[in-house]
Amino acid sequence: MQTAITPTTVFSTVQAKAPFEFKSAAHLLFIERERASSIDELLKALQSCPEESIFQHTFRTLEEHHFIKEGFSNDFAHWAYTELGEVGLGERLASLDVREFTSLAALRARLVQVVEEFASENPKSRERTAPMPFYFCSSKTIVLQTQRHAANLLEFIDGLRQVSLHSIHYHFIEARLRRKLESNDFSIWLLRDLGLERESALLNHIDIYTSTLEGVRRKIIQILQNAVH
Amino acid sequence: MQDLGRPTAPQLDSSSSATEASVRNTQTQGGTPAPARERRKPRISETPPAAPPAPRLADYESIIGKSQLDELRFVASPLRGKRVKMVNSTAMGGGVAEMLNRLVPLLDELEIKTGWEVITGGNDFFEVTKAFHNALHGGEFTLTQQARDVFMLHTEQNRKRMSFDEDLVVIHDPQPAGLISSKAGKSSHWVWRCHIDLSHPNQDVWSFLRPMVEQYDAAVFSSPAFAHSLAIPQALFYPCIDPLSEKNKDLDEKYIQEVCDNFGVDRSRPIVTQISRFDRLKDPLGVIKAYKMAKKYVDFQLVLAGGGASDDPEGAVVLREVQEAAGDDPDVIILELPPWSALEINALQRASTIIVQKSLKEGFGLTVTEGLWKAKPTIASAVGGIPTQVIDKHTGLLVHSVEGCAYQIRYLLTHSEFGAQLGRNGREHVKENFLMTTNARRWVMLFRILSSSNA
Repeated sequence: MQTAITPTTVFSTVQAKAPFEFKSAAHLLFIERERASSIDELLKALQSCPEESIFQHTFRTLEEHHFIKEGFSNDFAHWAYTELGEVGLGERLASLDVREFTSLAALRARLVQVVEEFASENPKSRERTAPMPFYFCSSKTIVLQTQRHAANLLEFIDGLRQVSLHSIHYHFIEARLRRKLESNDFSIWLLRDLGLERESALLNHIDIYTSTLEGVRRKIIQILQNAVH
Repeated sequence: MQDLGRPTAPQLDSSSSATEASVRNTQTQGGTPAPARERRKPRISETPPAAPPAPRLADYESIIGKSQLDELRFVASPLRGKRVKMVNSTAMGGGVAEMLNRLVPLLDELEIKTGWEVITGGNDFFEVTKAFHNALHGGEFTLTQQARDVFMLHTEQNRKRMSFDEDLVVIHDPQPAGLISSKAGKSSHWVWRCHIDLSHPNQDVWSFLRPMVEQYDAAVFSSPAFAHSLAIPQALFYPCIDPLSEKNKDLDEKYIQEVCDNFGVDRSRPIVTQISRFDRLKDPLGVIKAYKMAKKYVDFQLVLAGGGASDDPEGAVVLREVQEAAGDDPDVIILELPPWSALEINALQRASTIIVQKSLKEGFGLTVTEGLWKAKPTIASAVGGIPTQVIDKHTGLLVHSVEGCAYQIRYLLTHSEFGAQLGRNGREHVKENFLMTTNARRWVMLFRILSSSNA
């Protein structure tokens, strides 16, 4: 007896032009020389710190605090708010979306601009000293091959369920720095190798600042399951 | 001993050889503190139980997940066959030995052959290193030539006794720091792991040790605040807990109930607990004040449990003051426990509605990590390493005063959903950043980074 082949099964198992290779990243924190106890010191340190520090305190901190879905954006904003007591500066820094940046140089420039503008609009804030300094750290990264591949959409969804959150962060959030594109590895593969234009765009619109990283994983899977059905 | 259905039985003991744990309150008569009143007579083993076997790597899969465990194995795979030596100053007692007891087998299981050696020395050496330890924490100390000579003499004796043929050598804390002179002419990589707070060191002692430290390939600190401007890279390894240790593993509900019954803790009413030594820096008197303020609005019991009163005269004084402050309030339960009470402490934490750590000064605050791991809403002072763990209003609540502590107790006891969310976030925070497996991953990463610098 012949098995009925539905359009869905054909679509979800159609072979991609090239398989998706799931990778992940391991990071190690290093303590840098820069410290800041005031807005002026923060500004100076932001200008001189290594790019790995900008990465650590913005992109990486999102991964370290992936379980928080509201009010946590980056370490600079958190410090300005909780230690320096400058709520306005904290809000402005928190509004930065790392996904708008495809280079750490551009992100650094924007951070410097935000702090400079705030300091010039609020000169008295320069006199404020935080009880606990901001310690600049940096992150060294080792990229890992997970041995997991996806040759079609079903395998891709299965892979998304199995990989670690570090892998989701690596492909979905860190990818834009690698690729210098305002996109992510998943969207690029879905468009380029499976021709799924709509799903590719939908993934790019997921708000990473109002979800946990586990929530982001669920949303990605939901979008792709909707495509299957 | 009652059979509680677990291979590593708790130390609650009804036999006549067991001692009575101190569970006391005081009565105040006319403003004069009366002798401690016996509340209950719980029994606890007189001697430490045999240590359970160290967990296997696979045992952690149910906690961190298969993907994370696979990643740990994958990060470690290029290091297969490498040899590592860990060196510290004590095989038993203290946090470093406890951590090495767990870390060494895990690295071994990752096929990184890891040995652990302990330096030896006479009383004169350990008197000097204890003085160094206190001085590096900021204490007063005059560094004499004799102290330098004693330190260098024993360092040299240890250096001659030990061989250093491994690929990577990790020296823990200042006592064995001088062994670095054995690195000369070798291609091995050496790491100095500093577990102590070096933020305000005695300059004489630090000036003596610093040239040794700067010969290492890297240093590792527990907090950026402890680090110094050194000529070598400085990695940041947060302290960690082992989720499978007696202090942190899951417990049977029956056992938790038994501990509470034994200590007179009523689980039908809210329980607020601070676990810590009876030490002024842990501010147990401040916790009692906060209890009294909050108790006007909400009903709950306060449990203050810890050690430190039997082996420390200052601790005994603090315990007495705490008992006096508690008066005859039956809802303040003060427990002086021996050092081998890990299971009982675990049970008390799990039975608690809220965990408090109202320290005035703190290192990292591993009791906070333990509370967060048990998904307990936690109220803690914003000191030392606590803000790294308690992200205010996300993973717990930070306080700066007795009044703040009292208010947050009231708030959490009347907003259980918010407390539950803090608890869930707190556990995730520990899972991501402060577990033994994360620590093993950090070591493997550091070894890989150092090994690749050979190329």
